[in-house]
Parts: sequence; C-alpha cells; structure tokens
Amino acid sequence: MAVGAGSIELAGVVKSFDGFVNAVDGVNITIPDKAYCCLLGPSGCGKTTILRMIAGHDDPTAGEILIGGENVVGLAPVARRTAMMFQSYALFPHLNVRDNIAFSLRVRGMSKAERHKAADAMMEKVRLAEFADRLPAQLSGGQQQRVALARAAITEPRVLLLDEPLSALDEFLRIQMRQELRSMQRDLGITFVHVTHTQLEAIALADLVVVMEKGKIRQAGAARDVYDSPKDRYVAEFLGGQNVLMGKVRTVNGQHAEVTGLTGSGFKVPLTPGVNVETGDPIAIAVRRDDIELTSPGGSPPANTVAVSGKVKAVEYQGYFVKVMLNAGGSEDFVAYVSERKFFNNPVTIGDSVLASWPVDHARILAHDH
Amino acid sequence: MSAAARSAVAVPPVSKAVVAHAIAPRAEGRPWTFYVLSTVFVLYVLALYGPMICIYVLSFQDVRGGLVFPMKGLSLHWFVDLFTQVRTGDVKGSFERSIKLAAIVTVATVIMSFLAGWAFRRRFVGDGVVFYLMIGSLVAPGLVLSIGVGLVLHFIGVEGAWYTSAIGAQLSWTLPFGVLVMFAVMSRFDRAWEEAAYDLGATRWQTIRLVVIPILAPGLVAVALFGFTLSYDEFARTLQTAGSLNTLPLEIWTMTLNITSPSLYALGTVTTIVSFVIIAICLGAIASIQKRRAVRVPAT
Amino acid sequence: MSGRGQILSWLYVTPLMLVLIPFFVAPILVVLAASFFQSDGFGGLIADPTFQNYTEIFSSKLTANLYAETIEFTILTWLFSLIIGFWVAYFLVFHIRNPLLAIGLFLLCTVPFWTSNIIRMISWIPLLGKEGLINTALLRVGVINEPLEFLLFSGFSVVVAYVHQLTIFMIVPIFNAMARIDKRIVEAALDAGASRLDIMRMIILPLSKNGIALGSIFVVSIVMGDFFVIKVMSGGGSASVVGALYEDVGVLQYPSAAASAVVLTIVVTLLVALILRTVDIRKELTR
Repeated sequence: MAVGAGSIELAGVVKSFDGFVNAVDGVNITIPDKAYCCLLGPSGCGKTTILRMIAGHDDPTAGEILIGGENVVGLAPVARRTAMMFQSYALFPHLNVRDNIAFSLRVRGMSKAERHKAADAMMEKVRLAEFADRLPAQLSGGQQQRVALARAAITEPRVLLLDEPLSALDEFLRIQMRQELRSMQRDLGITFVHVTHTQLEAIALADLVVVMEKGKIRQAGAARDVYDSPKDRYVAEFLGGQNVLMGKVRTVNGQHAEVTGLTGSGFKVPLTPGVNVETGDPIAIAVRRDDIELTSPGGSPPANTVAVSGKVKAVEYQGYFVKVMLNAGGSEDFVAYVSERKFFNNPVTIGDSVLASWPVDHARILAHDH
Repeated sequence: MSAAARSAVAVPPVSKAVVAHAIAPRAEGRPWTFYVLSTVFVLYVLALYGPMICIYVLSFQDVRGGLVFPMKGLSLHWFVDLFTQVRTGDVKGSFERSIKLAAIVTVATVIMSFLAGWAFRRRFVGDGVVFYLMIGSLVAPGLVLSIGVGLVLHFIGVEGAWYTSAIGAQLSWTLPFGVLVMFAVMSRFDRAWEEAAYDLGATRWQTIRLVVIPILAPGLVAVALFGFTLSYDEFARTLQTAGSLNTLPLEIWTMTLNITSPSLYALGTVTTIVSFVIIAICLGAIASIQKRRAVRVPAT
Repeated sequence: MSGRGQILSWLYVTPLMLVLIPFFVAPILVVLAASFFQSDGFGGLIADPTFQNYTEIFSSKLTANLYAETIEFTILTWLFSLIIGFWVAYFLVFHIRNPLLAIGLFLLCTVPFWTSNIIRMISWIPLLGKEGLINTALLRVGVINEPLEFLLFSGFSVVVAYVHQLTIFMIVPIFNAMARIDKRIVEAALDAGASRLDIMRMIILPLSKNGIALGSIFVVSIVMGDFFVIKVMSGGGSASVVGALYEDVGVLQYPSAAASAVVLTIVVTLLVALILRTVDIRKELTR
C-alpha cells in the first residue's frame, strides 16, 4: 500500500540522553499523511524529544523513524522535508518579517527578487503583508507566531512540527490562534505534529491524540475515543472529565461485573471488551463527570442507574456548568459537572449530603496500569 | 483553619524596635540614603573627570603657559609645538604606530575572541587549562611578561618590533577581556536561533555568517572597543617588546619622566580625543543596533 | 561530547593558545629559567644554574622593605577602592530606577578607563601640586599658611592615583553582581519587616561577594605589578617591587630581575588564589 508523503511511522524508538534514563522508551506509532496529530502529556513525558527526533534535531538511540516510507534517521532536517516551529518562535531578531520568511530560500541560493516575491505571497496568505518591514521585536505574540508559521511553511515541507506553539500566548489569544493553526493545516494539506500539555487544546485540534507518560505512549486515537473511552487510569485522569473509582470485583455476571467500592457500597459495571476481570481483582472504573446526576439522599435515583453517596466539599462556578466536588470515600475527589441551569434549580452547598448517580452502562472498566 | 495549621511554636509579637526600623513605603520622594549616595556618586564622577579636565584646559595656554594654574592665555600653541618640535619627541611617528598597532590588535582580538568564545559554549577536554591560562595572562604583571618576551626574543636571536612582538604582547592583555565579553554575550545567545537556521536548511557556515554574527554584532563591537582602547593605551607589556620605535604610550612615558612644558598636556588632550571618538563610535553603534531590535509593542 | 566535537573546539581555541603560549607561558618559563642563571655583567646570561639570585633576594632587607611598602599600598588602595566602588555600584543598581539611566551613568564611570592611564596620572599635578588648585584654594581661604607638601609626590598621592585608576575595577564586577540580585527578594525582606542594615547584611553583601572578590583580584594584581604610577607619583620617594625590577633590567641585571619577578609572581598568585577560594571564578565569569 502506498504511504502518503507525509505519513510518519515510529518503530521501537528509544532515546536516552545520559545512558541511564530513557526519555523516550520504546515508542511505536503511525501518523497518517495529512493528519493533525497532537502529542499530549505532562512536562518530561518525552513528547518534545519525539518531535525533535522527527525533525532531525536529535537522533534516536535505537529504533527507526520513517517519513513517507523512508527511514530518515541520520538525515538533516532539510533533507527530510520537515519544518519545525519552535516554542519561542526563534525569529531572527536582526531580520525583518520578509527576510525572516525568506531565510530558507536565501540559504538555497535563490535570488533576492525571487525570494522576496515568494515571501510576499506567503505573507499575503497569513495576513502579515503590512508588517513586512517590521522587526520581530515590533510584533505582538500572535503576529510573531504567524511569522514563524510562514517561515516554516514556505519550504513546502511534508510535515510541520510545532513545539507548544500556543504556550506563549495568553488564554484569549490561545483559543483564537487554535483555529488559525487548524485552518492553516487544511490549507497546506500536510501532516502537522503538535506538542502540547493542554488537554482541551489537543482534543480541539487533533485528528489523532497521542497521550504520553514517562517516555511511553499510553493511548493513541481519535480525540473522542481518548476522552470518552480512556484505556487506563492515567489517561482517564490526565484527560480530565472522568472520575476514577477504585474497587474490588465481587462477581462477574454475563456482561457486567458486581463491584464493591471502597466505602463498601456496591454497584454494577459493564465489562470492557479486551479487559479481563475475575472475582477478587482490584479494579478501576471511569465515570464521566457530566454523566453524574445529583439527588438528595432518600430520594429515589432514576432507573437503571448506579449511585454512591457523598458529601459536598466544594462548588465551583464555571459558566455553563457548575463543578461540584464530593467526598465519596475515596482518596480523590468525586466530581460532578452539573449543567448550570439544572444546578440553580436545585442548588447544593458545602456540607450537604447527596446521592451521585450515573447510568449503569456509562461507566467503564479501565485496563490495569503497568 | 484546623488547629494543626496554627503554629506549633508561639510567634512573638512584632516588637517596637523592629517596626521602627522596618521600611515603610512612601508616597513620593526619595529616602535620605538616596541623597547621601547621589552626593557620593557626584563627587566620584567629579574626581574622576576633574583632573583630566584640568589638563585639557591647561593645554590651551599660549606660549607663556606653565604646568599649573592660573591659566595663561588661550591658544593652540602647544598643539603645534607638539607636532613640530623635535625636542618633544617623535609624537607624530609614535601616534601613527599606535593607531596602526591598535587597528591590527583590534581585528585580531575580535576574530580570536569570537572563535574562543564559540569553543567555550560547550565543555571540552582541557577547557579548564585554557580558561586559567587566560585568567593568568590577565592578572600577570605586565612588566614581568614584557621582560620574559624580551628574553625569549634574545634567546632566539630575533629583534622585537612594534609590528611583530608587540602585537602578541598586547594580545595577551586584550584577548582575556575579549573572550570574557564573548562569554557574557554568547550565554545570552538563544540556541533556538541556530537550530531554526539549521532546520531551514542553512549549513554551519551559513548559520554563522547569516545568523550568529549579525545577532552578536553588538558584542563584537564591544570586543572591538576593548581591543582598540586596551591596545592604544597599553604600556607595560609593550615596553620591552616594541623594539626601537615607540608607541604613543611609551613616548608619553619618556616625556613624563621630565615634564617641562604643557606640550605634554596637549598630547594628553589629543590622545584622549582619539579615545573618545572611538568610544563614541562604538557605543553609538551598539546603542543603535539594540534600539532597533528591542522596541516593544503592546499585544494586539 | 564526541571526539570530532572536541577536536573542533580545540581548533577554535588554537588562535588564543597561539597567543597565550608564546606571550604568557613561554615568558614566565623563561623568566623562571633565567632566575637561576648568572649575569655576565653585560646583559648576557651564563647558563650556570645557581640559587644565588634567590638567596640574595631573601637575605636582603631591601626586599622585605619593598614588599612591605608595596603591600601597604595594595591594602590601602584595595580598602578605598572597595568602599567607594561598593557604594557607587549600590547607588547605580538600587537607587536609579530607569535602567537606561543606570547604564548611562555606569558608562560615564567607565569612560575614563578607556583613556591613557599615564595621562590620567600626570593630571594630578595641576591639582595637587604646591602651586596646584587645591593648595591655592586653601591658601586663599586661609585654612593653611603654607602649601601642603604631602599632596603630591608622596605616599598620599600614590594612593590617590591608584584609587582613581582602579575603583572602576571594583565598580564593574560589583555592579554586575548586584544587578543580578532579584529585586523581589529585597521586597520580600521588606515585607517581613527587615531594616536597611538587615537587608545589607543578609542579602546585598552575601550576593555581591563574588563581585567584590573579582574586583579585589584585579586591584591586588595591578597594584602589586605596577611600577610607573608609584615612580611618578611618589617623585622617587617610594619604590615598589616591580619598580626595583625595572631598575635591575635597566642595568641589564637580568638574572636578579628574573628571580625578583618569580618571587613576585608567586606572591601575587598566592594572594589571588586566596581570594579565589571564596568564589568560583569560572562559574561567575561564564554565567
């Protein structure tokens, strides 16, 4: 099967900087051509190292990296037809916008007239034409980012690598610039690999979300899959939006398992295909926070639901929903996202005892952590 | 707050003495220390420039002029005297030699300091040796080195001259300064710029030529400033290595040993003007480069 | 770093070494060698190794006096240049709010350094001389009846000239060290109720220590190695170690001059090493 020019495959990639600890610990992943892929994880998980290895700024200690089907390990960045956008943008402070963008053409020996023409065309595309003669220090953060993007894109790479491109911007700009990146990617029609530690950013932008921890990939898949069906406890907790309950399996009946929670309360959970559980196993269960409904104790929870009781610890107003944190016996908070109007129809305050219920089939058994 | 959160140890109440000495914010104006220190500062600057200014003023006396105040007349007599009279020494020749020597030393210092600073960005085997040799060269008494070089030349059987051995002797003084400036400048050089250039396809040489050197330009100008002025005013190390023809500081030195007329003051004025011009050019260049690159615009 | 990287680094550092070795290492070694030779009286050297030169130095009372005098000047210069330099630097860093103005004033202080120091030295004559400005002013006001002799061509004028020349060497490293102090630390101390003395004692001084050490190294090594300031400013009244060295060279007594130079270098190295024990100079300079 022909591979797209911009498809990326990492096979058994390992990177160690000091010979002791593996910053990247055996990574296998295929990123399809023309996909928007986000590498998501906390600081130190290896996502930036992987990005730099794809770019050609670092080489793997072991393993292969294929772009468009060919092994690129050992090739210079320019030979890989990749381009990187740095976290600090790394715009040359002594060159104006036009010369920054035209830099790659200059090192290839293009004549001044020609490369200025090409740079002007690129500046039109990113709406920077009026800033052509400005120096980077005279631009705002958002403008600098567009220059960095244009400078990378003018080389017509097959893969564009972005190292936390939105971290330097404030919240409001970040959300605005997100869509610029997405539309740029569609326009250029190439693969984007975007490193970030912000969950919401990753799921907003990516076709493929790769969740990483300590040098390993924990889960890779479409945004919805990763958010709604996290494979293990780490992914569930990192993506947010899920409560993780611990318990022990009491019995297994057909499609469900009967579980005893930590507080002794029991509830039913559907079995997850591919995850084997037996009686007596310790188990972790994920329940989406927005699936939780709060009712007063003594009232009857809706049919086909499972419930735990808890005490309200904190209430946070978040605009269109209210975050209610409960103490339900576990070590971590049990959180319910209640839609705003619903909450204020029946508000609760700190100290109230409530019954938190969710539809039985909306919970998931998580795979065991290694 | 739970009981455990309160201190295990009783915190003593704040004493009056502490409150008396604590510094309270003030609505406007400056603390008394500001006035004391600015007086100190002004006195220091006056003491710094004062004596020099006396010399400059006195050099404009006319033919009746003496070595001290009060000033007698106003003319350029002594400047003319300086450049024409043979008895005041070979001012014109030594001045030319000093300028040429300083120019050579400046170029050499900039290039060598840049290379050395570039090497020191990463650790390499023996870098401690090089570093301490450099510091040693900086701290060593100039006359001792001068004598040593003289002896070396004596043993080899070669004559020293201002355009050969003096260059090396002066470089042993200017290079440590230049390299230290380069250290400071390069530590602020963001490697991301290099990587970006590499990413965009530049070769190592292209990166140095198109990115590193232009960005480091203010630092290079600073090194050039050090190189020129340190060479132009250098005395001890040049003393035994300049050969038979003097540089300007050596010439001044022989004149200092028997000061008889304000022509020496005139020389002082002239040589200081040269120094000031060079300083102004270099600082101006640095300031204009920095100004262009550092303008901040509010985020839009 | 890879082997290739190491070779490349050494390549870049070669020009520097090509200067340091013949013009620093070789002279020191040659002087060391010459100190063991004997003079043939005509400026030549007889390669007949002997400790004679050293024994002459160590047994001579003149040596002890010279060192005593030079060290006395060194200490006085160090003291005054430190006091003045510290407060000037402190003023520039902590009392000038506009950073551009601070840099401008800082440059103002450094500019004289870029001019000939011999000229700056003789410029004291119209000021301190018997008929100089200070004496005539004091006479006119009536504070004194006769011109003050000690102002010029004395130990006093030597120290004045030294301090005038070398305070800048204190100001620069101390300024650098102070500028690196995060002002928010000072604010935190103010928040906790610290007095001026507390802040100076517990924050400013410890964090400026490195700058003070660096400046001290410069001042000590320059004063110990000087011969022309003291010669001119003392009018021949005082001598210095290097001054005597210079005289020896003048009469072509190279071996004894060499031995003297070696002893001086060792003394200065010991002093500098002592100061270096309080600061990691490599980290300080390459930060």
